Amino acid sequence: VKIPKFALLATSSFRLALAYSVVFACVSSLLLGAVYLAVAGIVDRETSNLIEAEVQGLREQYLQLSHDDFIALIHERSEQQDVRGAVYLLVDPAGQAVAGNIPNWPAVVAARGTWMQFTLTVAFGEDTREHQIRARQFVLPGGYRMLVGHDVQERQDLKRLLLSGLFFAVFLTLLLGVGGGILMGRRILREARAMSAASQQIMSGDLSRRLPVRNTNDELNTLAREINAMLEKIEQLSLAMRTVLDSAAHDLRTPLNRLQRAAEAALGAGGDSSQSQAALEQVSAEVDAMRGTLDALLRIVLAETGTVERETVDLSALVTSVAELYEPLAQEHGLTWVATVQSGIVLRGNRQLLAQAVANLADNAVKFSSPGGRIEVTLRECATGSEITVQDTGIGIPANRRAEVLGRRVRLEETRHLPGSGLGLSLVAAVSKLHNAHLVLEDAEPGLRVRMIFQASES
Amino acid sequence: MHILVVEDDSVAREYLAKALREAGHTVDGAANGVDGLHIATSQPIDLLIVDRMLPKLDGLTLIQSLRATGRKTPVLILSALGDVDDRITGLRAGGDDYLTKPYHIAELLARIDALIRRGDGSSADRKLRVADLELDRMTRRVTRGSKKIALTAREFQLLEFLMRHGGQVVTRTMLLESVWDYHFDPQTNVIDVHISRLRFAIDKGFDKPLLHTVRGAGYSLREDS
Repeated sequence: VKIPKFALLATSSFRLALAYSVVFACVSSLLLGAVYLAVAGIVDRETSNLIEAEVQGLREQYLQLSHDDFIALIHERSEQQDVRGAVYLLVDPAGQAVAGNIPNWPAVVAARGTWMQFTLTVAFGEDTREHQIRARQFVLPGGYRMLVGHDVQERQDLKRLLLSGLFFAVFLTLLLGVGGGILMGRRILREARAMSAASQQIMSGDLSRRLPVRNTNDELNTLAREINAMLEKIEQLSLAMRTVLDSAAHDLRTPLNRLQRAAEAALGAGGDSSQSQAALEQVSAEVDAMRGTLDALLRIVLAETGTVERETVDLSALVTSVAELYEPLAQEHGLTWVATVQSGIVLRGNRQLLAQAVANLADNAVKFSSPGGRIEVTLRECATGSEITVQDTGIGIPANRRAEVLGRRVRLEETRHLPGSGLGLSLVAAVSKLHNAHLVLEDAEPGLRVRMIFQASES
Repeated sequence: MHILVVEDDSVAREYLAKALREAGHTVDGAANGVDGLHIATSQPIDLLIVDRMLPKLDGLTLIQSLRATGRKTPVLILSALGDVDDRITGLRAGGDDYLTKPYHIAELLARIDALIRRGDGSSADRKLRVADLELDRMTRRVTRGSKKIALTAREFQLLEFLMRHGGQVVTRTMLLESVWDYHFDPQTNVIDVHISRLRFAIDKGFDKPLLHTVRGAGYSLREDS
């Protein structure tokens, strides 16, 4: 799985950060927009009210005063006020300025009914500036027109400031979101690339590789640790499979070789029917032996991979039954057979595999004992759960080779002439492991004592 | 008996058919599951031998389809899969017996006889009798002629199985499976010792032995030798 160059944009953390900043930007623009509209509305309304009040006042004055006095009043007000405070202009029916603080009727920028908006050039220190004026005109009796206005430049500036603040806030939110997303995305991407590189090596066959893990507990690291544990198990299983294949090849090649010899002998016997008969009997026996080996190997693999059905097994009945199966054989071999089975011991497991394991132990005990010996098969409860012990007075296994015989296909030199696949104890080991049992091989002085110690389970 | 062999390996099928004909059966063959099912449902077949892995229709599906039509024809499954669980799956699918390849032809013939006989309903009888040997399943009493024979519980089971298949060949594996319920081969022939104990109990002191060893196959409980 290759990670493309612009993978950053596709990382979930980048997308998440981007989505969040878009949401935040929307929310803040809504909020600030509402504030802006409210403030702008109030400001505009205030100006209008102010102008309205003034217009109302002037109208009343006009009705009370004479025409000349009114003109004088306008003059007076105009002189009191700088144009930045209030704007007055009275024109006669011909449009000539009669009184006021602006020289002539302004060029209207925008008008709505009696309301209008225009720009006025105002002295600003030595400089001049364009100021927005909001004004209202009204007609006096006699054709005179009066204009009353207010400088709204400051208020316009305030509105503009609010608006740019709004844009700045939204921009900043987006910037922080994208920036944060890039930073987070790059971090995740770096880890993902490292994992991807490791995975590719694992896929190309290096099963011992592990994903890189840092010393933190974030989700990615926890996941990496779990995947590593899984890889560990896969490596173990694949190793086990390889070992099984190797031993299967070895265990089957040897009898195949004997099979071929026997077949050749039968072919070479010519007319001698007794010779060819003997050879063919050997062929049949070898096929049986191979089948036995194959079955044993398959069962070991089955037990090792743990993919078997489990049921509640009456261990007491199982050990009793196996003991009873082997007792006549032991007596036939001149052995004393003692079975001590505590009743009522059950565990969860595979009955066939458990029975075969105990049978293999009994089989070995009989096989490796000399007449006059004694075999004891015991099942009892112990501290951890239950324990099956098979003890004989036979040749035993030297302490330094006990671990070895549990592995596959180890038969000690002195026992090579005895029948069997040599996989008996391997199966016992695999079945023990499947049932979480601890397998112990001990010196019974003389002989061997094999203990399968089961852990008390949930059922 | 009319036996249908459904097996895709033609060499194995022909060999098996030949052996079955020699044993006195009529044999039909099918090389795949579809043909097998067709023959099994269109002709009077007494017993089916079905390989588990077949082209077109696998063995287990064949058996399930056959059972779905209500036919109770005994089926013996042959399989290269020999695990404990595979066996259970095979029997659950409707098979009556399960044999792992490679097998001895004697083992197969013995199992076929047992399957055919099973249809007789003789297993329900209270008393089993072979020559002058009599076994009462209710009182668990065994007598030969006028002599009462004392047996252990396991020896009784062993004898009961042998008597139920009186005159037939019973293999060691069949005994292990039926009497002990063990589906594995012990490395040593433990059954032989049990049989010789049983033989000692029922044949000792009588002129005509009843329990015979069949070379290369197993045992048979019958009157003649």
